[in-house]
Amino acid sequence: MARALLRITRCYSSPLSSLTFPPPPPLLHRGAAPPLRFLSISSSSPSPPPSSSAATWDGPGVKGGGDGEDFLGMSDDELMGQCEMGTFKASGPGGQHRNKRESAVRLRHRPTGIIAQAVEDRSQHKNRASALSRLRTLIALRVRKPINLEDYTPPVELLQILPLKSTIRGKDVGPQIGPNNPKFAPGMQALLDLLFAVEGSVSEAAKILGLSTGAVSRLILSDDALRTAANEVRAAKGLKPLK
Amino acid sequence: MLASAAAAAALLPRRLNPNPNPKPYLLKRLASSTTTSSSARTTPPNPQIPISGAAAATAAEVESNPTPLFLRPAEHPIPATSLAAFRRRAESLIPPTAPHLHRHLRWLLADAAGEDPALLRLPLGDLEALWIRHVRDRRPFQYVVGNEHWRDMVVAVREGVLIPRPETEAVVEMVGNVEGFEGGWWADLGTGSGAIAVAVARMMGPKGRVFATDVSEVAIEVARLNVQRYGMQDKVEIRHGSWFEPLEDLKGKLMGVISNPPYIPTEDLPGLQPEVGWHEPKLALDGGKDGLEHLLHLCEGLSSVLKPGGFFVFETNGNKQSEFLVDFISTKWDSSFCDVGAVLDFADIKRFVTGYRR
Repeated sequence: MARALLRITRCYSSPLSSLTFPPPPPLLHRGAAPPLRFLSISSSSPSPPPSSSAATWDGPGVKGGGDGEDFLGMSDDELMGQCEMGTFKASGPGGQHRNKRESAVRLRHRPTGIIAQAVEDRSQHKNRASALSRLRTLIALRVRKPINLEDYTPPVELLQILPLKSTIRGKDVGPQIGPNNPKFAPGMQALLDLLFAVEGSVSEAAKILGLSTGAVSRLILSDDALRTAANEVRAAKGLKPLK
Repeated sequence: MLASAAAAAALLPRRLNPNPNPKPYLLKRLASSTTTSSSARTTPPNPQIPISGAAAATAAEVESNPTPLFLRPAEHPIPATSLAAFRRRAESLIPPTAPHLHRHLRWLLADAAGEDPALLRLPLGDLEALWIRHVRDRRPFQYVVGNEHWRDMVVAVREGVLIPRPETEAVVEMVGNVEGFEGGWWADLGTGSGAIAVAVARMMGPKGRVFATDVSEVAIEVARLNVQRYGMQDKVEIRHGSWFEPLEDLKGKLMGVISNPPYIPTEDLPGLQPEVGWHEPKLALDGGKDGLEHLLHLCEGLSSVLKPGGFFVFETNGNKQSEFLVDFISTKWDSSFCDVGAVLDFADIKRFVTGYRR
């Protein structure tokens, strides 16, 4: 039991691998998954490795990844429980033999195959928190949940990122949440779900959100990752990118 | 000048210069900066060799201040331009191919500055001396800034105590998985900086206690500082002495025994990474013949201090040692212990031996 726990909750880079350590994957990596060369999935790993992560998120998004589970609604601990921290194979004897201060963290979200990592902080705990928050953004951008437009009401997470002038946004929703707020990710996910459901049409989405087309465009353009993801939804429907 | 360049070349860390052909431009820069700033050049990497010369005093003074750099008052005003110039000089000593050193520089500046970036915790000249000692003499970065980020803690360290290793973080998890650990009495033998003792104490309930022993007085001082910094004085009791010696009154009362004893075989010490072999205390590394001397002593004492059902976890040198100990304990003391086994670290090395007193 302890063994299993250790395996999934601990992860470090090798001290000498720092020279070859790849930079964090771009937020909007598309197509094939980043190579898994640092991820060592042991045969006794408590969960079976997903068959092919590359296949799961080929294209604009993972549709209904993990049976439409609400990953972003999960607590950090719950989300972490769905992740594998690949062991960074350290070379050499380790332990007292070695002085190293690298504390990279690389998380692999099992249900979707999405990988997030963080290396910039000296504390492993902080890197884990950064990697987890990055994972939330990546899930928001890549995991598409189907929407039934017939009886659609925008969720409150989406209302919270809308500008105040939206006619469907009640007064009780509070101030507008911007891209730097961790709560932006679930709103962004809901917006992309809607855009996906209306086949990339910003004007259709704008009607549903009680905003002008220009206001929705500006919202999408306010965050680089959101813009790129939205443009991929549009490109898949043969629409030209928002700029 | 030539002589100093040669000296610098001889001491230039291998990591910086994997290329057998030295890079003259690097050496020159290194040499010129060492001549102006301090005696670090003449400081032997082995701290046991006495430092001579008046200039050497600067480096020695900087390091003899027992207050870790990151905890000193920020009272040295520094113009932004001087700091920027220092940063450029410091960067010029390290090649772009050593990203870890660039990170260290960033972290050093973060730890050396107060909340107001215009105030440093030490004079600029001392900062420069520290940096050169780190880059050239391979003095561990953790001793330079006086801390190691370990689990969610910032553990104070200084010369004379082992820098806690990331592998060892798992020990705390293992303790946390023992049923009822939070109300029991535990011992951390050879506590060093006190990292394990404090981390375990922070997870405990009001009745839990950790008795942390160490034979080294420096370790006792540093452990005390860390206990205070995390407000664990009521939960951690530090006792001076070797292994079980200071625990006579606790025989048969402990719920658990934790130890990361010296386990490196004596014959392996010369081959250690310079940061470790040149700078960390032999007392905390040297495990004697086969590295087992202290581990065996710990095994011997276990049964008298642990209460029935009590847990133990030891860190070891790795696969061979762990396998030997598991076999040894299961064979020799089969009637005293159960569930004895090796536990893997994050690199899949059998790093720990754990078990329960029957």
